[in-house]
Amino acid sequence: MDFTPTEHQTLLRETLRKLLERECPAALVRAHVDDPGVHEPLWTHLREYVALGTGPATDCCLALEETGHAAAPGPFLATVGLYTPLTGDETPGTVAIAGSAGEWLPNDEPVKTFVLEADRVERIAVVCPGPAVAVIERPGPERLRPVATVDFSRRVFELDTTGLALEARPLERGAFDRWRARAYASIAAEMVGTARRILGMALDHARHRHQFGVPIGSFQAIQHKLADMSLALERATAAVHYAAMTVDAGHPDLLRAAHAAKAAAGDAARRILKDGIQIHGGIGYTWEHDLHLYLRRATADEYLLGTTGWHLDRLADLLFA
Amino acid sequence: MRLAWGPQDEAFRAELVAFLDEHTPPEARAGADFMGEYSGDEIVPQWLRDWQATLFDHGWMIPGYPPELGGRNCTPVQTLIYLETMAERRVPRSGHFPGYAIVTPSLLEYGDDAQRALAPAAARGDTVWCIGMSEPDAGSDLAGLKTRAELRGDHFVVNGQKVWTSYAQIADKCFCYVRTDPAAPKHKGISVLIIDMDSPGIEVRPLTHITRKADFAEVFFTDVVVPRENLVGPLNGGWAITQGSLAHERAGLWVEGVARFEQTVGALVELARRTGRDRDPVARRRIAAAYELATSLRALGYKGFASYAQGSSAPEHSYMKLATSEAGKAAFELGMELCGAYGAVTDPDRGQEAGRWVTSFFVSFANTIAGGSSEIQRNIVAQRVLGLPRG
Ligand SMILES: Cc1cc2nc3c(=O)[nH]c(=O)nc-3n(C[C@H](O)[C@H](O)[C@H](O)COP(=O)(O)OP(=O)(O)OC[C@H]3O[C@@H](n4cnc5c(N)ncnc54)[C@H](O)[C@@H]3O)c2cc1C
Repeated sequence: MDFTPTEHQTLLRETLRKLLERECPAALVRAHVDDPGVHEPLWTHLREYVALGTGPATDCCLALEETGHAAAPGPFLATVGLYTPLTGDETPGTVAIAGSAGEWLPNDEPVKTFVLEADRVERIAVVCPGPAVAVIERPGPERLRPVATVDFSRRVFELDTTGLALEARPLERGAFDRWRARAYASIAAEMVGTARRILGMALDHARHRHQFGVPIGSFQAIQHKLADMSLALERATAAVHYAAMTVDAGHPDLLRAAHAAKAAAGDAARRILKDGIQIHGGIGYTWEHDLHLYLRRATADEYLLGTTGWHLDRLADLLFA
Repeated sequence: MRLAWGPQDEAFRAELVAFLDEHTPPEARAGADFMGEYSGDEIVPQWLRDWQATLFDHGWMIPGYPPELGGRNCTPVQTLIYLETMAERRVPRSGHFPGYAIVTPSLLEYGDDAQRALAPAAARGDTVWCIGMSEPDAGSDLAGLKTRAELRGDHFVVNGQKVWTSYAQIADKCFCYVRTDPAAPKHKGISVLIIDMDSPGIEVRPLTHITRKADFAEVFFTDVVVPRENLVGPLNGGWAITQGSLAHERAGLWVEGVARFEQTVGALVELARRTGRDRDPVARRRIAAAYELATSLRALGYKGFASYAQGSSAPEHSYMKLATSEAGKAAFELGMELCGAYGAVTDPDRGQEAGRWVTSFFVSFANTIAGGSSEIQRNIVAQRVLGLPRG
């Protein structure tokens, strides 16, 4: 198993990192709380990367770590992580699959939940039982109900397909599983990116905040928290890269690897967000401090595309099959 | 990033597998159970000594070394494949790790010509070595060691005590850390001596492990005379040598820990099936979490290896000892929990697998203490990897 990134991958990551530093500072994520329109200049840049959705999952996940790190608003994940890999279409899009229970598996309920960024894409792929996929043009607001979550950087909708003529094209089981695995790895990649952002902020604070005449980062209780946070993050990041590699190789282990990656990312994100704010103390509890922008994203992502517990349960189903 | 290694490396694996198929002794095929202890009374059974020599003679003991040191000059990737294959097949390399894993590389790096000449026998296992580091008042704080070696002309005189010394009862030689300058700051007054264990003035008192199945020892030194030429490296330069273990294998040392952990997770699945707990959603979720941990730790090990092979430092490896030792302990605990009321039963005719889970749980206590405790590992991660200030 060779984890060495190719030159192309290193370049991709660095280019995106610089782009996002410039185009997606915390101020933009904050402005997006009240004005969703502010993401548009960023999207014109990120749109140039939608071909990642049809390329290798490894490249795509490296890119998504960067958008997660920036908590980038907009339909980038929805397009390159979900829509494009499912349809092969590079038009901005999203995928509708979960029903009222919020479980991301095919079902025949007409109202689809947790549809990411549905009002800012051009097309929506509706996954139907079979599994089968029907692509529709984005409908008007009468069919889209925004659902508020704790995260202001990502927009979530319910899509009502009642009465729509869905021309569903059947999907092979293997292709569907591969798509799912890729989708789990994709959101997990964003999550480890966001967790890395929070860990970075906590480390910075630990180095610069002084109490009792010394940096708080010299206290062992804080050091050990940070060591465990960092271990959880490195582990989850490696699990995401492994999952992406199994998708690219069409390896028989790909679903197990993807469930493991999403669960590892969920665990790491939860630990890092909780200890991350603890290390910040009172300043982290303020609206003015940027920390909460990332805590919000990390908190909400754990519930998308299956919770940590759900992924562990599916992994158990495979282990005990 | 890709899953497969190149064709040359896969050919290397095939050659190793063919060798193992042909030569692995039946005792090793039966396998150590997953906690890595062999039944029988001998500390190191004869078949295992013979096997180490066979590996050495065929260039499969430390494959990254040249043939005269039991290797075949293989690449780092091939060393990783070697460690991976041995661990997957649960084939041991040796029954006494200090000689080949710590002493051999240290002698090669720091020894003079005469000392380097001791390396092949250490790697082949012909000479059994023990490591004298820990003392009653110097464990995690190794630099606090007090065993005194006074230089008197052409020899040292050693007085003091070591403790927890593994293999001391059967060792021919001790790679011993001693204080040669009591006046210097504590890291700067330490030297390493090669001490023959049959020297007059050495007393070895066995100390039984918590499991009662194995021993380490206390070693007492009273006016032990050690020739000056047995000093390894510079006088008072011993601290640097504490860092020297198999440098080129360090990037792969995690492999065995991860492989054992994966085998434990596989055994948990079987155990749950046997005990009917495979229908218990809580147990299923916890086993899946252990599997997730195994998957992510293996990936983390390989990711670190990739940075190492590219010549960068690999912070990933600082995490591996901490993570695998803690993960193992938790997995054995889960196994005990799956045994229900029989969790603590060791009676071979009752409960599960003759108390394998609770026994392994006890054995696993050592892994988070020895070789740098989990707390020390976290200090290292915080200070050396994350760059936080010392307290
Ligand atoms: C099975 C086994 C085999 C061994 N074999 C050998 C051998 O062959 N040769 C040899 O020399 N030694 C050997 N050892 C000894 C081993 O290296 C020591 O036990 C280890 O270094 C810990 O030292 P200690 O036991 O004195 O514990 P201590 O250092 O006293 O630690 C006690 C507790 O305090 C914690 N602690 C200590 N310092 C800190 C700190 N700075 N921050 C936070 N917590 C801290 C530790 O984590 C631990 O929880 C062996 C030990 C075992 C269990």
